[in-house]
Amino acid sequence: MFRSKRKRQTRKDVHVAQLEAIVGPTEILYEREDLLSYDCDGFTVHKAMPKAVVFPKNTEEVAAIVRYCSVHNLPFLARGAGTGLSGGAIPLNGEVIISLGKMRNLLSVDYENRQAVVQPGFVNLKLTNSISNKGYYYAPDPSSQYVCTIGGNVAENAGGAHCLKYGVTTNHILGLEVVLPNGEIIEISEDGIPDSPGYDLMGLLTGSEGTLGIVTKITVRILKNPQGKQTVLAYFDNVEDGSRAVSGIISAGIVPAALEMMDKTAIEGVEAGAYPVGHPDDIEALLLIEVDGIIAGIDEQIDEILTVCKSRNVREVKVAESEEERGKWWANRKTGFGAMGAISPDYLVQDGVIPRSKLPEVLRRIKEISEESGLRIANIFHAGDGNLHPLILFDSRVPGETEKALEAGTACLKACADVGGSITGEHGVGIEKKEEMRFIFTDEELEAQTRIREVFNPDDLLNKGKLFPTPSRCMDVKKVIKDTVAVK
Amino acid sequence: MEIQDMPQTSITASSMLKDDKFGNNGVEMAVPGSEEEIADILHKANENGKKIAIISGGTKRGYGGLKNDYDILLSLAQYKGVVEHTAGDMTVTVRPGTTIKELQDFLREFDQMASIDPAWPEQATIGGVIAANESGPKRMKYGSARDLVIGLRVAYPDGTVIRTGGKVVKNVAGYDMNKLFIGSMGTLGVITEVTMKLRPVPKCESLVKLFVSKEQLEDLKTFVVQIQDSMIEPASLELVNPALSKKLFNRDVYTLLVAFEDVENSVRYQEKWIEDNKLSGMDMDVSSQTEAQAFWNAFSKVSPNSLTDDEVNSTRAVIKIGSKNLDVFEWLAEAETLQTKNMTIKMHGGLGHGITNAICTGNESEVKQAIERIRSRAEDRKGYAIVKHLPYALRHEIDVWGKKPAYFFLFEGIKKKNDPNNTLNHKRFAGGI
Repeated sequence: MFRSKRKRQTRKDVHVAQLEAIVGPTEILYEREDLLSYDCDGFTVHKAMPKAVVFPKNTEEVAAIVRYCSVHNLPFLARGAGTGLSGGAIPLNGEVIISLGKMRNLLSVDYENRQAVVQPGFVNLKLTNSISNKGYYYAPDPSSQYVCTIGGNVAENAGGAHCLKYGVTTNHILGLEVVLPNGEIIEISEDGIPDSPGYDLMGLLTGSEGTLGIVTKITVRILKNPQGKQTVLAYFDNVEDGSRAVSGIISAGIVPAALEMMDKTAIEGVEAGAYPVGHPDDIEALLLIEVDGIIAGIDEQIDEILTVCKSRNVREVKVAESEEERGKWWANRKTGFGAMGAISPDYLVQDGVIPRSKLPEVLRRIKEISEESGLRIANIFHAGDGNLHPLILFDSRVPGETEKALEAGTACLKACADVGGSITGEHGVGIEKKEEMRFIFTDEELEAQTRIREVFNPDDLLNKGKLFPTPSRCMDVKKVIKDTVAVK
Repeated sequence: MEIQDMPQTSITASSMLKDDKFGNNGVEMAVPGSEEEIADILHKANENGKKIAIISGGTKRGYGGLKNDYDILLSLAQYKGVVEHTAGDMTVTVRPGTTIKELQDFLREFDQMASIDPAWPEQATIGGVIAANESGPKRMKYGSARDLVIGLRVAYPDGTVIRTGGKVVKNVAGYDMNKLFIGSMGTLGVITEVTMKLRPVPKCESLVKLFVSKEQLEDLKTFVVQIQDSMIEPASLELVNPALSKKLFNRDVYTLLVAFEDVENSVRYQEKWIEDNKLSGMDMDVSSQTEAQAFWNAFSKVSPNSLTDDEVNSTRAVIKIGSKNLDVFEWLAEAETLQTKNMTIKMHGGLGHGITNAICTGNESEVKQAIERIRSRAEDRKGYAIVKHLPYALRHEIDVWGKKPAYFFLFEGIKKKNDPNNTLNHKRFAGGI
């Protein structure tokens, strides 16, 4: 970015020059060394180089870039902070990356109507920080919330630890401004008014992993902070007891704000990480349970949770005595993935979902997968909503181990799919889980989805090659047969 | 879990065919008893250029539609019952013809509920509620169909059956196809199965009614802002206009309906908060548990539906108005200026979600005029006004869906990709889709 303009111009191709004309010379990267940090996102197993990275400052620039790409048949994709864990922002086809990192303003807050309008590059946690002085917050809280952007959250339909009670991103989006793949700007549910007549495009766009349009403005719901909050930490000598405690809490009619679980290997990781709590090193599982709401009603729910834990052979259970202690427990949990770096050179995180009642069964299966592959698997997960995060620990320097880790990850997802679950609860499909889509969807079901893509993104220039498996031969054959029959 | 057979609804399918006040009827009627039959009926109709209308409870025949008769009226009324319920997972899978009441009664045995409170629970079916995206006052706390439905099975016009979503409460695999069908008015496919996430039945319920004179409406607004800015957590903040208050409570004032649903200590604390903070002149009444439940049941029947609306001397219309939350105040105030001596407007709106219902009753031309005025003001405010109940003949004079959005071509594209022959509920939806 700081090189002389003359030198740059000698290397620029015609498209880069045209894109530069749209955003200005300081807002484009196209030299190889500048592009290197855009060759992957949080999914680092796969890498590919973009053609260029552009940094538009407003919706009109995004639209102009998209129109240019569309007219000239250049593949393109949108990128936020690049924290995605499934490779959704990797430029598989040498895309022009449209970074929304410079569209990072909080545009307005309307406390009376409980909504805020942000640009897509606005960081998730910044929203809560900007409104907390008035006692408000934004509910979806993915672990990467201190850096991930709300635009990226919309693309991935991001979740978080507290979505058990408060829902995921889609439940908090009230309106979207979108640049369609042909460059047209549309505004859905302007002013955040719900149920706008017609098909629910907002619902379709949220979680579409950047394949249907580029979101340039987002109206979100904001919530008032709960009056009170209490957090419980429970240690168990075996995973089954921990799982049964999870079911017990849910069946007691309690809706915890969060209900998280970690197994022994995960605890070893977080204790070696940056935020150790001092968990005993010989326990098999821990639960982190949070209840929030009206203070007058919290104590009896906490009592009930303690009773449930005790009836499930808990070794030790305690309630956070201060906000500081609570913060410490959460920091330990939220940095859990990264902490695995302290006990393993590499790790791969998976993201399956299962019906809660299948928890013990699937955890047993994951243990078997670990034994079969010879790789350690740590489990950190949102137990309350059945969203598992097996972390497969491996060493990419050992030949063949990366492949083994990928295989183990696929096997974990298969285990989830086999009990009627899903292959992803919040990380998205991206390129990582494309083929695993077949574990849960038939060819017809996949086709029903690609039909929707064809409506929004008919030329498939926007984020091509993501989300859906490569069409199977069998499907192609079927189509040919169908056509032949029709001709007859 | 075994399939639960449920009692039949009292509305027999044949009685639907006789009346034509609301259109959306059929020359023939098909009453399938299985998903295969549904898919087969669709496939054959689609191949032979026949048009199908979908019905189950029959409460929404006055909701959109520019055809009196379709070739086939596909009734899902008999395709009902719980398919699967795993109490520990807090999810239920149910067939579309199950009424809301049947579903809630079933779940109540397990201290669970589907947290949705649409109108007419005894008659409205889950399939219809989802297809029309119906919601009620407690949407404020629990959300609407799009927040609760986690999976569907859908039969497309060509007879293909797909599953969308799944049976887990959190799922981002592929596009969120559930959203495509929620609120699509049966124009893309027939919902053959619905999976929803459930909630525990709240341990304690109460309803605080605040009666406020017309002169104090501004004070009430101040108080509502204060409630919203406090940390209390009402399940509803539904404002009722004087015409409707008169009918419900025999009081010619505005009424604010504040529901609390939580553990008992919390509910009592919040009732007291209202008592302590309400402004002078606001008259408060508290009803607990069964009394509150009975009230909400009665409240769910304030709007007419196509089974109950047998009015011959006057016209009735129900309008769903979407606005910003606090604009509900302006809408209720506006009702006062729109009413005439020949046309009343009963209105209620959610201050926590921005959906207002206006029930206009009276002289046909004045009802039409009221709809047009409401429509134009709603659209000026970037909102909308959908006429969700109107006799068939009038639906040709008034576009019940309002103006087309700039991105209407996407709606057309979606319809064309999924129902290229316009087999399903043709002309029932926004923009004549």
